[in-house]
Amino acid sequence: MWNYCDNTPRTNPFGVPFLRTLIMAGVNTVRNEKSSTLSIRRPMRLRLIVVPLSVIVAFVGWEMLARLGDFPTFLLPSPANVWDKFLQVAGNGVLTRHLLYTLAEVLAGLALGVSVATVSGYILAKSPTVERLMSPYIVASQAVPIVAIAPLLVIWFGPGVLSKVLICALIVFFPVLVNTIVGVRSVPDELHDLMRSLNATRWQNIKLLEVPAALPVFLGGLRIGATLAVIGAVVGEFVGADRGLGFLINRARGQYDTALVFVAILALVVLALSLYGFVTLIESRLLSWQKRPERYKYS
Amino acid sequence: MKRFSMLIVISFSFLLFACSLNDNQNQVGTGTTDEPLTKIRLPMGFIPNVQYAPFYVAVEKGFFRDEGLEIDFDYSFETDGVTLVGAEELQFAIVSGEQVLLARAQELPVVYVMGWWQDYPVGITAMTEDEIITPGDLRGKKIGIPGLFGASYIGLQVLLQAGNLSEEDIVLDSIGFNQVEALAAGQVDAVVIYVNNEPHQLRSMGYDVTVIPVADYAQLASNGIITNEATIDQDPGLVRRMVRAAQRGLEYTIRKPEEAFEISKKYVEGLAELDQDVQMKVLLTSIALWQAERLGYSDPVSWENMQDVLIDMQLLSVPLDLGKAFTNDFISD
Repeated sequence: MWNYCDNTPRTNPFGVPFLRTLIMAGVNTVRNEKSSTLSIRRPMRLRLIVVPLSVIVAFVGWEMLARLGDFPTFLLPSPANVWDKFLQVAGNGVLTRHLLYTLAEVLAGLALGVSVATVSGYILAKSPTVERLMSPYIVASQAVPIVAIAPLLVIWFGPGVLSKVLICALIVFFPVLVNTIVGVRSVPDELHDLMRSLNATRWQNIKLLEVPAALPVFLGGLRIGATLAVIGAVVGEFVGADRGLGFLINRARGQYDTALVFVAILALVVLALSLYGFVTLIESRLLSWQKRPERYKYS
Repeated sequence: MKRFSMLIVISFSFLLFACSLNDNQNQVGTGTTDEPLTKIRLPMGFIPNVQYAPFYVAVEKGFFRDEGLEIDFDYSFETDGVTLVGAEELQFAIVSGEQVLLARAQELPVVYVMGWWQDYPVGITAMTEDEIITPGDLRGKKIGIPGLFGASYIGLQVLLQAGNLSEEDIVLDSIGFNQVEALAAGQVDAVVIYVNNEPHQLRSMGYDVTVIPVADYAQLASNGIITNEATIDQDPGLVRRMVRAAQRGLEYTIRKPEEAFEISKKYVEGLAELDQDVQMKVLLTSIALWQAERLGYSDPVSWENMQDVLIDMQLLSVPLDLGKAFTNDFISD
C-alpha cells in the first residue's frame, strides 16, 4: 500500500480507499474493472464445470466398481442401491427426522462452543499471564480423543441431547479459540495507537478495531469448527442415542443395511458442506470491504 | 557410505516385508508334533471376558490343536464378524442368533452351526425397592438400553410383549454400555442387561436388585458359532472340527468351572485383579444358560420364535428359510 506524497495513507484502516483515491482512479477504473471482472469470471466458470463433472465421474466410477467387482450389496452397494434406499427413507420421513435432530445438536454445540471459545480467546489474547496459566489444560483437552471422552459425558450428563451438544462444543472449542487469539493479536500496534489517540473507549476499540481486524481469522476457525461439530454430534450419537444420523448408521450396521449406512454418511457430508458453505457466505458478506481496494488497482 | 547405508535399510525393509507375508489368517503353522495347523481368526463380538471360558479352555487344553486348528481371538464388533464371514473373508465368528436372520435377510450367506447359549441371556434389572418384578411393572418406567439394536433391543421387545406393553408405554433411553452406572446413579428406573453379568456387579456394589430374564418368557436363538455356505460346501470337515473342539471346551467348562476360571485369567487381562467372587458368579450363571441335554444343539422352535419377534419388530419383512439359517449336522453326540 503506497501513501500519497504527503504520506497520508491511500486507504483507511479497514482498507476502504479515501475520497481522493477514488477521484484519481478515473478512466482506469472502467478498464481495471473489466479486466478484473474477466479474471474473476474465468475461475468461477471453470469451477462450475469441473466440480459437478468430478462428482459425476466419481459416481460413475463407483457404479462400475460395484458392477464389475460383483460385490454383494452388504459389502459395496451401488449408487443405484443407495439412491433407492435414499428415496425410501426420505419418503417415509426417517431421514429428515434423524437429520434434523443431528442438525439441532450441531447448531446448539456450535453456538455454545463458539461463544465460550470467543470469550476465552479474547481474554487469553489480552492476558499473556492467563494464557500461560490455561494453555496446558486447553492443549490437554484437545490431546484426549473425543471418542474417549464421549462415554464419560453420556454417563455424567445422560444420554439426551445435552451430552451431544457438549461433545460438539468441545470439539469446536479449540480451533475457534486459537483463531480468536491469533486474530485479536494480529491487530497492528499502530492501529491501537491510532485508537488511543482518538480517545476510543474499550468498547469502541473492540467494536471498531479488534472485531473487524480479527474477523477474517476468526471466521477461518469457524469454518473448521462447523465441520468438526458434525463429527462431534455423530460420535455422541454412536455412544448413546436413539435419534440422529449417527444412530441411523449404527442401526443400519446392526441390520447389515449398508445402503442405508451410505445414505446416512452422504447426508452427513451434505450437512457438513452446507454448514461450511454457510459460514463462507457469512464470511464473504462480513468481509466484503476487504475486496474493495482491488477494484481500484492501478496499472 | 551413504549408498551402503541405504542398501542396508532397503534390504532390511524387504526382509521385514517378506516376514510379514507369513502373517496370513489362513497361515498353516505347526504344532508341537509338526502337524500343520489351520489358523482361524475368530471374532468374539465383545471384549475379552470370562464368559468366553469354553473357548479359552479349548485352546489351553489343546482341543483345537487336536483338531488341527490354531485360534486367534479377535474382539471386534459382532456385526463386523458377521459381515466378514458373510463376505467369506473369515470362516467362523461368535454371534447372537438374531444376527444370523438379519444378515440372511440382506443376503449374507451365514449359517449357524453350533448353539452355545441355550437360554437368551438378556434381561431387565432394577432396584428391589422399585418393585419391578414382572414385565407389566415396566409401564411408565424409564428404561436404559445400550442401543436400539442388537440382542438387548430384541430382548426388551420380548419383555414388553410379555407384559402387553409397547414402546409408547415406557420411556426408553439409549445409554451405551453404561447400564451399571446409569442404574446406580438413578438416571433410569431399570436397565437392559445380560442376566449373568450386570446384576452380580450391582449386588457386589451393595445394591439389591431384581431381574426379569427374557428366557422366562421366550425361547430364542442365542449366541453360537456361525460359518458361511461356502465353507460348508467346500470344507465341511473344517466346520466339523471347529464345532467338535468348541463342544469339548464347553463340556469341560461346565464340568470344571473353577479350572476354567483359572484358565480364563490367562486370556482376560485384568481378570485376576477383579472381584473374584463376582467374576466366578458371572461364569457360573453363564454355565446355567449353556446347559443342554445335547450341547451345541439348536432348537428349531427357538429360531421360529426369533423370526416371529423380528417380523413383529419389522426388522424382517418376510419369513426366511430357517432350514438354511442353522444346522445341527455338525454337532457331535
